[in-house]
Amino acid sequence: MTSERAPSGQRVFWRSLETKEHPGQPRELGSDVVKQSIDGPGLLRLRRRQFLSLSGAISALAGISCIRRPVEKIMPYSEMPEDVTVGVPSHYASVLTRRGEAIGVVVQSSEGRPTKVEGNADHPASGGGTDLQAQAALLDLYDSERARTPTLKGTAKAGGDLDAALAELAGQLAGSGGAGLHILSEPSLSPTFLRLRTALAAKLPQAVFRTYAPLNDANERAGARLAFGRPLLAQPRWAAAEVIVALDSDFLMTETGSVEAARGFASGRHMASASARAPNRLYVVEPALSVTGANADHRLSLPAQSIASYARALAAALAAHGISLGSALGAALGRAELAGVPTAWIEAVAQDLAAHRGASLLIAGSRQPAAVHALVHALNAALGNLGKTVAPVSPLDAEQPDPFADIAALVRDMAAGSVQTLVILGGNPVLDAPADVQFKEALARVPLSICLSGHRHETGELCTWHVPQAHALESWADQVSRAGTYSVQQPLIAPLFKGRTDALMLAALGADTERDPHLLVKTTAASFGAVDEPSWQRLLQRGVGTSEATRSATGLSLQEAAIAAAIRALPEPAPPRNDALEVVFLADNKLVDGRHANNAWLQELPDPITRITWDNAALIAPSTAQALGVASGDLIRLTLQGASGSPQPRSIEIVAWVQPGQAQGSIGLPLGWGRKRAGKHALGAGFDVYPLRTSQAPHFALGVKLTRLGVRYPLSQTQEHDLMEGRPLALDATLESYRAQPRFGQTSSPDPAASPLWKTRDYSQGPQWGMAIDLNRCVGCNACVIACQAENNIPVVGKEQIARGRTMAWLRIDRYYVGEDADQPEVAFQPVSCQHCEQAPCENVCPVNGTSHSPEGLNDIAYNRCIGTRYCMNNCPYKVRRFNFLNYNLDIPETQKLVYNPDVTLRFRGVVEKCTYCVQRIERSKIAAQREGRALKDGDVRSACQQACPAEAIHFGDLLDERSAVAQARRVDREYALLAEVGTHPRTRFLGKIRNPNPELKG
Amino acid sequence: MQLFRRSLNKLPLALLVGLASLTAAGTAGSWYYFSPKNLQVGYAPKQPIPYSHKLHVDELGLDCRYCHANVERSQEAMIPSTQTCMGCHAVVKSESPKLAALRDSWKSGDPVPWIRVHKLPEHAYFDHSAHLGAGVGCVTCHGRVDQMQVVRLEAPLAMGWCLECHRDPAPRLRPRSELTNMTWKRDATSTVLATATVAPAGVRAPEHCSGCHR
Repeated sequence: MTSERAPSGQRVFWRSLETKEHPGQPRELGSDVVKQSIDGPGLLRLRRRQFLSLSGAISALAGISCIRRPVEKIMPYSEMPEDVTVGVPSHYASVLTRRGEAIGVVVQSSEGRPTKVEGNADHPASGGGTDLQAQAALLDLYDSERARTPTLKGTAKAGGDLDAALAELAGQLAGSGGAGLHILSEPSLSPTFLRLRTALAAKLPQAVFRTYAPLNDANERAGARLAFGRPLLAQPRWAAAEVIVALDSDFLMTETGSVEAARGFASGRHMASASARAPNRLYVVEPALSVTGANADHRLSLPAQSIASYARALAAALAAHGISLGSALGAALGRAELAGVPTAWIEAVAQDLAAHRGASLLIAGSRQPAAVHALVHALNAALGNLGKTVAPVSPLDAEQPDPFADIAALVRDMAAGSVQTLVILGGNPVLDAPADVQFKEALARVPLSICLSGHRHETGELCTWHVPQAHALESWADQVSRAGTYSVQQPLIAPLFKGRTDALMLAALGADTERDPHLLVKTTAASFGAVDEPSWQRLLQRGVGTSEATRSATGLSLQEAAIAAAIRALPEPAPPRNDALEVVFLADNKLVDGRHANNAWLQELPDPITRITWDNAALIAPSTAQALGVASGDLIRLTLQGASGSPQPRSIEIVAWVQPGQAQGSIGLPLGWGRKRAGKHALGAGFDVYPLRTSQAPHFALGVKLTRLGVRYPLSQTQEHDLMEGRPLALDATLESYRAQPRFGQTSSPDPAASPLWKTRDYSQGPQWGMAIDLNRCVGCNACVIACQAENNIPVVGKEQIARGRTMAWLRIDRYYVGEDADQPEVAFQPVSCQHCEQAPCENVCPVNGTSHSPEGLNDIAYNRCIGTRYCMNNCPYKVRRFNFLNYNLDIPETQKLVYNPDVTLRFRGVVEKCTYCVQRIERSKIAAQREGRALKDGDVRSACQQACPAEAIHFGDLLDERSAVAQARRVDREYALLAEVGTHPRTRFLGKIRNPNPELKG
Repeated sequence: MQLFRRSLNKLPLALLVGLASLTAAGTAGSWYYFSPKNLQVGYAPKQPIPYSHKLHVDELGLDCRYCHANVERSQEAMIPSTQTCMGCHAVVKSESPKLAALRDSWKSGDPVPWIRVHKLPEHAYFDHSAHLGAGVGCVTCHGRVDQMQVVRLEAPLAMGWCLECHRDPAPRLRPRSELTNMTWKRDATSTVLATATVAPAGVRAPEHCSGCHR
């Protein structure tokens, strides 16, 4: 951790290892990346004669088009649908699933096509916020490379052929009682799916049902089974926790329920003034720097294999503080120390926890073995946290077996030839099944395989039948959230490619005679209270049904002996050696397990931590990299030696990335990249790390050898552009120094003697728009960035253009490392978009008045005036203006064009663009208020970033309205303007971050 | 021998003056003739169905909003659906050959391909409901549609023309009750509109870029 803190503003801020090690020498843009001349491939490849003849033809044709306007048709409805007002979007409540959680959403529909996803404020797992995958779901829906027709051995077939084949199969199965039928599905949150699965199991008693997903809650369930004797899931009440200890748990980003966690965590973090209640304190112990680790007050990087030992040591230290775990368990704990970990990290944390009984929370991540989860349950119980900060709930599908064991069992059956028919409903086992079970090889031995998936992917192309799967935004289903809220997933659009749902496939196999997915869901909904048409309509309208009180588990008693035995059985961590490294498989921040690989928005979004776009990388600690002689951008080979039962070592090739905060001797490997059959955006992006993942060690593996290949690999980052050269930007203070100096953010102010840059305007008439971003609430999840992209039709430019510094994102989240120790940095996030300066430097350099100020304080752009001099970009101190170097909207497939927001212009080549404060939303709300004959009120206008933010870190509204949230936020003492000394008077203000370090834990 | 006669000495000057005046004429000409006022106004394409506003509005007395029902609620005034037309024409003139295209549309479900007359550039976001809410009547921009057999573009719909009104909207505003009245004239009592607010929040016709361009 950082040593003694200097006053804020004098702390060391560095953006990357390059800038830290060579201060004053910013790395040359694109030095490590593709070096190509500006007229290199992809821009203009014409011979001189071709060029001349083309330009002649163009100038001849150019004159013709202006003379008479093109005739344009208006196509009104033939039969007017009810409830549609042309030009006014409608909104429908639905639900999206996310790795063990269902997030309630409200989807905007513009003339029948979904154009924006927002959170449903009534849904507990959303609370109005979303994550970045939910924001990007639209692009998944409109992916033109999704499978369009069913295929039989690669030949396109009509839907009727498939229906006939399924009917024939169902007939055979009914006769044989389902002998030889194996159904592999992903863990499901859908009562309809589970109902049909039960029905099918009853009809076909011989059929075997298997469940697999590469990222699952098996450890969590097994841990609860150890602790309480039944599979339960921990449902934290984040806002109530004053001290949080996360053991390898990235609960703010990649773990289940991250939206709810971000909201609760941020509210526990909130400080309305320096005298307010202290924020919560977060300790994170983890192998790879995660978004959660970036938010920690204290972060310890430990290899994943040592986390269990840390948990034991912490438990032993707690026992010394009077938190008794009982004799049986106490004896199994061992000593309150751990080699290589400062004693304070055990003692001080234990003391802090003991001082916050009933208000503390321990949470273990899904990578950690069941024993750690069980121990965490025991500790939470001993600390009196059960029912206060964490409530175990029973999962919807309590019978779900361990997916890793389940897929291994399935493959054994396949290899033995006892699988006649394999039906794969969702998922991609050829890609993501553990490498040692050899799913692909076994699949070849199955006579009839049917795969339901959106893309004809790695698994789909090897199956006899491939069936297009409907996207969640185009199909009926229902989902129950982790905490038990029932929601119906209602389609916004008819299936674009005639996709089917998993429930429909079960019905076709004989589970039900009903073939209408709508009615299948409606039947289930009756058992969730929607017994008649009015209640069904209410359920659809609100998007939230009954919450099952029965889901929260009661009458829990700890099974100390079982936990003790499991803890004793934990292996001792092997001391880290550079020839036997640990690899940790990470759920990717963007692609999760690879299912979003063909989503260009997510591909281009810089990773919240590494800031790499279009690639993943093996994350290596700076000290380890130095010892091994590896630099960022080196291609390396990772070889997993001596995997038991495997004669051949497994290896992958991947690019290395030196990542501050990575545990020494441990390599982080983000899953889901290097896809071969996912579409053009996924192809060639990143490296597949699944071949190293085995069923014995699916979460972290030991004994990995690293070899340098001596080849460089170009990586595109958004890190090196937009450098703000070490000035205090993302300001933070410790709680102590904040209380001593509440206005710590006011480090600089404009020179009062300086004359204004531009004529002073009258801003006394409302509304005057402004924004406040609370860095203390922002967790750095990047949902706002994708929300901005979806709302404002921001194009994707590709890896090569990013390398040239041509990112188009209007909103970026800068990530700064703070502190001196490159192996244990602190992290600061700062969302930056146009600051809407009242004295805007961009405006007075524009030669064509293309950018000017509105009376409401907006910095406007008229795209059609812009001639592309880019003077404004040069003069912007915040570097938030973006230039369309090429026509990035060219060659967009027709299907994908449906994603465009009709209220925002598509920008052409040669035009500058930037954040508009979502002026289309402002205007829409103003017009609506005028229409309804009322004044605008606070909350009428919500910017896309504000609406998406799960942590409620962004406030937007009228500054002249004293009671508006933004005006209140700007009166908070932590408020400051970015680069105030420049005198731009920005309308966007930041609220400084407060860190709450434990005084006992320094150094 | 003199190759060029003395009178030719004035040729360069004459050429220069000629060229200058030609350029000026060309500029002035294109300035006028290639302006929306000249090129756009008067556009009256033949529609797939010879619908007469004069018949329906002037003679039969239909209100604009009977067909353009969204005009007070949405940015789009809305071209009526085939269903709206068939509301009457299933009974009235149900066999008229002029309405064959309408009946086809009703049978097939395909839209009637009307030809757009009033077209704004794609980067201009015009909102009908905002203008009606402020008290701008139909006739102000669309002209006497009630007298048109074929719809004809009456106003240039160019930015300068928009701004003429946005800079001084008051004289063009009218009471909300008279929005669709084609013959309403401002009289002595209506001068009060210039000061009194038509819309409760007041009329603030934007003159800044993002008022119309997003």
